[in-house]
Amino acid sequence: MIELPVLNSTASADASPRKRFWRSVQHLEADPGYSAFTESELMTGAQGSPGDSSRRQFLQLMGASMALAGLTACRKPVEHIMPFVRKPEDMVPGVPLQYATGMEFRGALRPLVVESTDGRPTKVEGNPEHPESNGSSGIFEQASLLALYDPDRSQQVLRNGDGSTWADFVRFVAERDPGRTAVVLHPTASPTVERLAAALAARNAGSRVVVYDESLAAADASRVRYHFDRARVILSLGRDFLGSTDVDHLHNTATFARSRAADDGSTMSRLYVIEAGYSITGGAADHRLALKPSQIAAFGAAVARKLGADAPASTFDDHPWAAAIAEDLRGAGSAAVVVADPTHAAAPVAAAINAALGSWGTTAERFVSGPLTATSGLEGLAALASDCAAGRFDTLLLVGVNPVYDLPASVDFAGAMGKVAETVHVGLHVDETAVKASWHVPMAHYLESWGDGRSFGGTLSVTQPLIAPLYDAAHSAIEVLSLFATGTDRSGYDLVRESWSGVLTGDFEKAWRRVIHDGFLPGTAYASSAPPAVAVPAVTSGPDGIEVLVQPDPTVFDGSFANLSWLQELPDPVTKVVWDNVAAVSPATAARLGLSVELDAGQHFVDRIAVTLGSSTVDLPVWPVPGMADDVVQVNLGYGRSIVSRRPERTSPFWDTDSVTDVYGTGAVAAGVGVSVSDLRGAAGAASITRSGSGYLVATTQDHGALPDEGAEAMDRGLVRMATLDVYRQNPEFVRAGDPRPIREEWTDYPALWQSRHPADEPAIKDSPYFRNQWGMVIDLNACTGCNACTIACQAENNIQVVGKDQVSRGREMHWIRLDRYFVGDGADAPVQMVVQPLPCQHCENAPCESVCPVAATVHSPDGTNQMVYNRCIGTRYCANNCPYKVRRFNFYNWTKTLPASLNLAHNPNVTVRSLGVMEKCSFCIQRVREVNKRVNVENRSIRDGEVKTACQQACPASAITFGDLNDTESAVSKAKRNPRRYEILAELSVKPRTSYLGRIRNPNPQLEAGV
Amino acid sequence: MSTETHHKTAVHALDDLPLLGRDLSFHEVTELVAHHTEKKTPTAWFGAFALANAGLLLLVAMIAYLFWNGTGVWGLNNPVGWGYAIVNFVFWVGIGHAGTLISAILFLFRQQWRTAINRSAEAMTIFAVMCALIFPGIHVGRVWAAYWMLPIPNQMEMWPQFKSPLLWDVFAVSTYFTVSAVFWYVGMIPDLATMRDRATTTLRRKVLGFLSMGWTGANRHWRNYEKAYLLLAALATPLVLSVHSVVSFDFAVSIIPGWHTTIFPPYFVAGAIFSGFAMVVTLLVIARKIYKLEDIITIGHLEKMNIIILLTGTMVGFAYITEFFIAWYSGVKYEQYAFLNRAFGPYAWAYWTMMFCNLVFPQFFWFKKLRRSIPFMFAVSITTNIGMWFERFVITVTSLHRDYLPSSWDYYTPTWVDVLTFVGSFGLFFTLFLLFLRFAPMVAIAEVKYVMPQADPHYYDDHGDGHAGDQAAKLARSSHHAS
Repeated sequence: MIELPVLNSTASADASPRKRFWRSVQHLEADPGYSAFTESELMTGAQGSPGDSSRRQFLQLMGASMALAGLTACRKPVEHIMPFVRKPEDMVPGVPLQYATGMEFRGALRPLVVESTDGRPTKVEGNPEHPESNGSSGIFEQASLLALYDPDRSQQVLRNGDGSTWADFVRFVAERDPGRTAVVLHPTASPTVERLAAALAARNAGSRVVVYDESLAAADASRVRYHFDRARVILSLGRDFLGSTDVDHLHNTATFARSRAADDGSTMSRLYVIEAGYSITGGAADHRLALKPSQIAAFGAAVARKLGADAPASTFDDHPWAAAIAEDLRGAGSAAVVVADPTHAAAPVAAAINAALGSWGTTAERFVSGPLTATSGLEGLAALASDCAAGRFDTLLLVGVNPVYDLPASVDFAGAMGKVAETVHVGLHVDETAVKASWHVPMAHYLESWGDGRSFGGTLSVTQPLIAPLYDAAHSAIEVLSLFATGTDRSGYDLVRESWSGVLTGDFEKAWRRVIHDGFLPGTAYASSAPPAVAVPAVTSGPDGIEVLVQPDPTVFDGSFANLSWLQELPDPVTKVVWDNVAAVSPATAARLGLSVELDAGQHFVDRIAVTLGSSTVDLPVWPVPGMADDVVQVNLGYGRSIVSRRPERTSPFWDTDSVTDVYGTGAVAAGVGVSVSDLRGAAGAASITRSGSGYLVATTQDHGALPDEGAEAMDRGLVRMATLDVYRQNPEFVRAGDPRPIREEWTDYPALWQSRHPADEPAIKDSPYFRNQWGMVIDLNACTGCNACTIACQAENNIQVVGKDQVSRGREMHWIRLDRYFVGDGADAPVQMVVQPLPCQHCENAPCESVCPVAATVHSPDGTNQMVYNRCIGTRYCANNCPYKVRRFNFYNWTKTLPASLNLAHNPNVTVRSLGVMEKCSFCIQRVREVNKRVNVENRSIRDGEVKTACQQACPASAITFGDLNDTESAVSKAKRNPRRYEILAELSVKPRTSYLGRIRNPNPQLEAGV
Repeated sequence: MSTETHHKTAVHALDDLPLLGRDLSFHEVTELVAHHTEKKTPTAWFGAFALANAGLLLLVAMIAYLFWNGTGVWGLNNPVGWGYAIVNFVFWVGIGHAGTLISAILFLFRQQWRTAINRSAEAMTIFAVMCALIFPGIHVGRVWAAYWMLPIPNQMEMWPQFKSPLLWDVFAVSTYFTVSAVFWYVGMIPDLATMRDRATTTLRRKVLGFLSMGWTGANRHWRNYEKAYLLLAALATPLVLSVHSVVSFDFAVSIIPGWHTTIFPPYFVAGAIFSGFAMVVTLLVIARKIYKLEDIITIGHLEKMNIIILLTGTMVGFAYITEFFIAWYSGVKYEQYAFLNRAFGPYAWAYWTMMFCNLVFPQFFWFKKLRRSIPFMFAVSITTNIGMWFERFVITVTSLHRDYLPSSWDYYTPTWVDVLTFVGSFGLFFTLFLLFLRFAPMVAIAEVKYVMPQADPHYYDDHGDGHAGDQAAKLARSSHHAS
């Protein structure tokens, strides 16, 4: 038995020999038996256990063994959770906090304000305080929230494909001199990345930093910002500057929308677009000319020559449009601007025209960005690959890039990676490049890591994390770069502060706090640079045959957003195709090639074509787009991804449809969606097209009816009303002409039978404090470009579920605000215009959905909005049938049942997640209204105009959506309702919609109008 | 049978048409009808019942599959929120019209020929309404909350929304079902008593004794019975008209072009009678042959039903054309588009199926020869039912698939679940109908006897002198049915 000396009760007797007094001989002789006898109080056997251990020992041992038995269950150190006895300042459970941060997109930081609910980011918005932002945001910023919670994110450091740890990686880097290192990055203006990349390159001779972007074109670090709000005439030479993929999309859209203001005698700009495909910029154009991609620069050269610029002769010198456009540009002088993609052959032409017009400094402004925004292009990457293959590098560090996917097969990047001793990939996913690398490090999402950057105009920002990395192994790009540059593991926070120590003046801590609070450092915008000295090179005409136009996809970009189901299900703004990439051709080209699209039972079954360019062939479904240039095939990047997902494949028994309806059921979201067109890049010449198959199902959210019918009917029904500027000036109320001819009954025409009992007069409604505000919305069709930002913002705000390609093809998509796109044209050969109409719930005052619901699950709120009571809904779908706008969405399946757990974190806690069998629809963001109601109630005041913003309104870069209180006659929405261009669609049904539209104005050039 | 030739002219009802195929005695009538419930179950019945049960099982399986997964297993989509379920509902309710019309309205109008067919037609009605009632229950997204459509007092003080036509539907159809069932059962009591008296086993006697409610055939019983029957007929008559009018409100009260039509109530009622009679013809043409009831359900009865089919078919056709005229005359472009789209749009095939089946084929009944031809009337009864199913399909689906905003236009295709659920509902219908044929008196024995010549108080007055003629023979005959 264990002896515990401290507690040993059998202490030895005093063995001192010198005893003067004694009681007995035994005592005197110190007999052990005697001393034992005298020490015990009781007789032998009357106390203690019969064994060796005492009662206390027994209890000690029992206690210890119990404690040890309990500990065997613990594999982690003990963690304590603590209630907020003293809660952190400003934090109230359930009340969201907002933090300024930023997301880098194409080398420019988009300033953001991110909402955090109880510690998790739940919504992304633009930073309205930022000097270059109006608080709007694009689809990629909105959807980046989903990227944080992406269930397919890489979660573990991988060493040759096997699980490893960050510590192992750190040890590996620290112990091994990286030697000659090649670093591959996407463009960035981050001072910290610049600093660390420079340090890394300087560490060993022979190192190199390679930057490339999705254009795979070489470019210098100069940038051009256009001030469309100062422009009267705009010519775009092939640039989709309003599109979501444009680097300066938000600024372009905002300033362009301002330039289009036509009310109150303001000068409205005129937009000419020369393009090959059909983009939303082309849709916004007053005049749009479809040319093959190789002809655009030549057309620009013809315009340039007419304006006296030094440009070579071109085949378009006699084109009537060139003369008319040149004249119009000359008339506007420095208030005209020509826009082109910086990497496109038309860019020098555009620069030359801008110089000739004197636009530099007024409508166009050039600045030089950071060194890492200059890109190498395909040649640089090919050189890197061959240098790698030749053994000129010891380490290849790929930070947030995916060259194995991005590059065409003609550059054997994967093979080159195999020739480098160590290849390190840092990325959000175990993607095409990660599986070829010897190390893979999961990259932290921007909402999880410290960083910095510069907006397009140069304003410096610190980007702060809102949450610790969801996966322990995840580290940011700067942490990995620093590890390679110095061999030590330092936190991103320290690295960014180190970079900023030279930037901030005065009290560093104070200034630092200010920057992370505001999200930017004022006064740090780039200084304007002198316009480029332009020499327009000779314009080469393209091949005679079919040209291939490769573009980043308007919804998933270059594939880096492909794993976000929101974006996969976001309709292409022009084709409305979801979950696929298609080869777009003009209807005439499709007919000439004998390609067909079968519309069978509302589903599109299309031919597939093999597009062969040089030695590469890509097989794609074909899709005719009216108005495209003939003999052009437009293909989009970003599809055909192969991302490794660790989630098991969903299997379900035959009676269960989960395996069919779960978009997350079979591997990564992006895997198996569409086809990669990377192989078509870098090859020149004419493409050959052969029909390779037929009957391929393409899912779209529109055009389930016949296409010609839809556009004509939409115009005939007065859904979209538009006029030219001249007509508008003469007849400001032109939209009235679109009112239905036969009968337009006023509500007051009806007998008074029900009026005394009108629900709006019921005490329950009138006595409600909400009754004071009557919410309404106005959507300006003249400002809307159709960029889709509203749809994704709504999806993020309102927990809208994704249903997958199969369900969309069955017409079951769930978007609460959709963009109806109609083509308008006189025939297949005539120019085709495109109009876009955002359509949320119209919140009819006399709502037809409400009267037919048998259980009163959809009712009016006292503040005049039409609301769904999900708990009460039994799903008869009668309301959806009776909705003339068809904005109601039904939960045909339990979409959330199969949702991966991490995605639940992305849900807005203030919006119910809908279950199987209930109807849902736009609520005018009632949760935001109630949030403000609560606030003003506490502060005992009334709601200020603009205090409530709906999610779509907040995101809209064009400020096309106005929302507010109709009871306040001075509110922005009341003013917008007084606009002469205001009309309601289907007003003749007496449903009294609360949502109005403002008619669209075109500003055509009278000289060209005859031809349009 | 000695008087057969002698009294040939007397075997005529008031309207001079023979009500029975040949001169039958009361006993023979009882025998013809009742013995089918008493004999050993024929193998063929088991075969048919097994088939019907397989259909019923299919229905149960389809409903289970639907409940487990959700409404998505059907072919519905965004513009088309109602498809097969509602089409089937209206189809079955429509079929459920003939029975009560025959028993109640024709009773009030003293149409004696109805007695041969009213029992089976009413049974058909009840079973059809049962089939119909399934669909509104299962078509909702959250079936476990479907009872919220009923006005049940609850702690939330939440009532249904009384402005919704779907709620009116709940009341109209359930009232119709209740009254029809009561009417059917009350009418059956004397016949059940007859069968009770013929019962040879204790169990049969007990069950029939319970169901016949102590009927003895006493004068007092007959008096109460006839009064109740008359009152129920009067109660059921407005329901015949109201139930399908209310069903039509589901569409007419909405604002969807093609639905929003004031012509719907009468047009739906006419269509319902049309389809109901067609179904009665379909069933009775088979039943009278198999059960050898040709002498009770005569070709004359079938001809009369065919005349009603011709009449109502023409009314329905007139309504179709009126809708077109009104669409043009109204000048409302949505209305005009909706009707042009019906006839020439993607669902033109359904529209023209409907037009041919409902408007064209019944017109052949103008020919007496054709309306007395069993194969021809059987074919027309089938095409009428197909046509009327398509009418509901055309109204429900083609109006929804292209309404106001062209961007939302889509197409509706049923899934296999839709189709098999519909097939399964026939399984339920035939299961119930076969049970009826096996266990209940399929012809109203007592009512047929009322209208037989023997029921005429002057029947025995051969010489027209107020005195009975050959008493012995007459009494011998009448004693047969005294039991």
